[in-house]
Amino acid sequence: MAEQATDRLVRMLGILTYVERHGDTPFSELAEHFGVSVAQVRSDINALWVASEPGDSWLPIDFSADAFDQDIASLVRNDGVTQVRLSPREAVALVGALSTMRGAGALPDAGTHLLEKLREALSEPVTVVGDDHVGAEIREPLVEAIDRYRRVEIEYVDAMDRRSTRVVDPHRLVVIDGHAYLECFCRRAQDYRVLRLDRIASATVLDGAIEHPPTDSAGFSLTPAFRATVTVGRSGRYAVEDMPGVVIEDADDAVVATFDVVDAAFVAGRLLAVAPHLRAVAPRRLADALERQAKAVLDVQR
Amino acid sequence: MAVEKAQRLLNLIIGLSSTRHRLTRDQIRDTIEGYEPLPYGADDEERRKAEASFERMFERDKKELRELGVPIETIEDPVHGDEIGYRIRPAEAAMPALDLTAAELAVVSIATDYWRGAVLGGDARQTVMKLASSAEHGPRVELPFAALPAVANDAFGALVEAVADRQSVRFEYSSVSSGAGTRTIDPWRVVLRAGIAYVIGFDRDREEPRTFRIQRIGGKVRPVGDPGAYAIPKDIPLGALAESGDVATARVALRPESGHALRRRGTPVGAENGWELYDVDYAHGDALVAEVLALAGGARIVRPATLADAVVKAATAALEVERG
Repeated sequence: MAEQATDRLVRMLGILTYVERHGDTPFSELAEHFGVSVAQVRSDINALWVASEPGDSWLPIDFSADAFDQDIASLVRNDGVTQVRLSPREAVALVGALSTMRGAGALPDAGTHLLEKLREALSEPVTVVGDDHVGAEIREPLVEAIDRYRRVEIEYVDAMDRRSTRVVDPHRLVVIDGHAYLECFCRRAQDYRVLRLDRIASATVLDGAIEHPPTDSAGFSLTPAFRATVTVGRSGRYAVEDMPGVVIEDADDAVVATFDVVDAAFVAGRLLAVAPHLRAVAPRRLADALERQAKAVLDVQR
Repeated sequence: MAVEKAQRLLNLIIGLSSTRHRLTRDQIRDTIEGYEPLPYGADDEERRKAEASFERMFERDKKELRELGVPIETIEDPVHGDEIGYRIRPAEAAMPALDLTAAELAVVSIATDYWRGAVLGGDARQTVMKLASSAEHGPRVELPFAALPAVANDAFGALVEAVADRQSVRFEYSSVSSGAGTRTIDPWRVVLRAGIAYVIGFDRDREEPRTFRIQRIGGKVRPVGDPGAYAIPKDIPLGALAESGDVATARVALRPESGHALRRRGTPVGAENGWELYDVDYAHGDALVAEVLALAGGARIVRPATLADAVVKAATAALEVERG
């Protein structure tokens, strides 16, 4: 497939700006830096070279012909042509993603410096609020263990409020929908797991090396047990919006949501919060779990 | 041979940046290499065809450059009647010098993954390329970090552009409190909170600032009126999205070995009849009530009474729900 014209334009301007900043540069280095072949670099430089100002034969960009013959880009003259700035979309996307990663607790150190540079240059294109309060005392041992291929012992509180101590082979930190997770192999479960960073209470690097390599297919592999159908008034819509595989249909002043359920007790806990707006819950299994939890709450709260 | 499109776009940028005042469409067609000047001695029919073909080409080029981030200004000149001219201010179009390290460039790639598809689409590689021009060359840095694409729809990108252009928009919105309907707003700012995108703007029909969750916008976001139509206030009210300054303290009672998240945030203040007591600061009562409900009897609220009542009310309502 032919390359998009704007892709090529951005790369040509990139090459020009890079050479202007770094001085004479071999084509091979440019090819590596911009991820294209040497032949493509040569063609891009030729295109820059013949760029013209309107109406006359003035060429604003000139390279040394001798250096060109030796596969080196050597700029003789550049009359003010530079890489173009980030578009509003790009600025928001970049600063938004970096700030979200930081709020989630999974921004590499280099990212912090990058974010500072971008914010200075772009005058704050987006507002990002929220913070999972993942401290350095959790993040740093995890990153160290990943870098050194060491096991790590963590104390973890799951979504059902169960506390456990486990030894895992850590692989990487991933940000998904605003929260950070540790991808790892859990020795207790003898399987790949994705653990939320803000539920890790402590992390200690161990001496032993990891034994299980990362896997591409792991991650969110929890198998749903069944699909639920819940009717809830509009005011309770938010509680079902983020359920896995959710489909929401509007019905007068309510919505009907169908979604995957991995753990009925966990979903029942979420539904309790919007119980005053709940109209119907199916299947029976989920309705039973909801009733059980509601009774347990009333036993202690009344 | 026809001049390649990337070359033509480059010539257009150079032409519009180097003009002292502005270039009219005719000047662009006749002087910028890559466009076809009117054929010499053309008759009316040929002239119309050539005009139409140039218009299409130039409109597309202008749109693509604007999407790329190149600010092409439209300039009307009273002296020359109603003919429109164009120019680019070089200082506004240029990428600021960021001097990125190889590691920082690696983080750019991870961050663009977060929006791949919905917001940046294929442009993600252009974003990386733009920043690569001001990055040092070094061995590729592998970082044990990643970001998976966030849930975002086309509305996100359209709203970001509307904010940048200060142009009103209209869209279909499904609201929690008042159902579905058409909204017309002056968008002020896009806000992200825990991975969820919102837009804050002035609701023209309700005549007050409102916050909209972008995920709840259905269909297209359509521009209304001209760019630059309103001013964005300096202090934008974040409303419920703010990390609330109004923090109150609740006392919760926890069963041993339960409520770990509350324990981490709270301060222990003693024990009573097998319950451990903690004082927990909260900004949103609903969130604390939801947390206690989810613990299914592992926790109860001692005070304030309003929150304790909310817990009872929700649990009681749950027993009334129709069971499928």
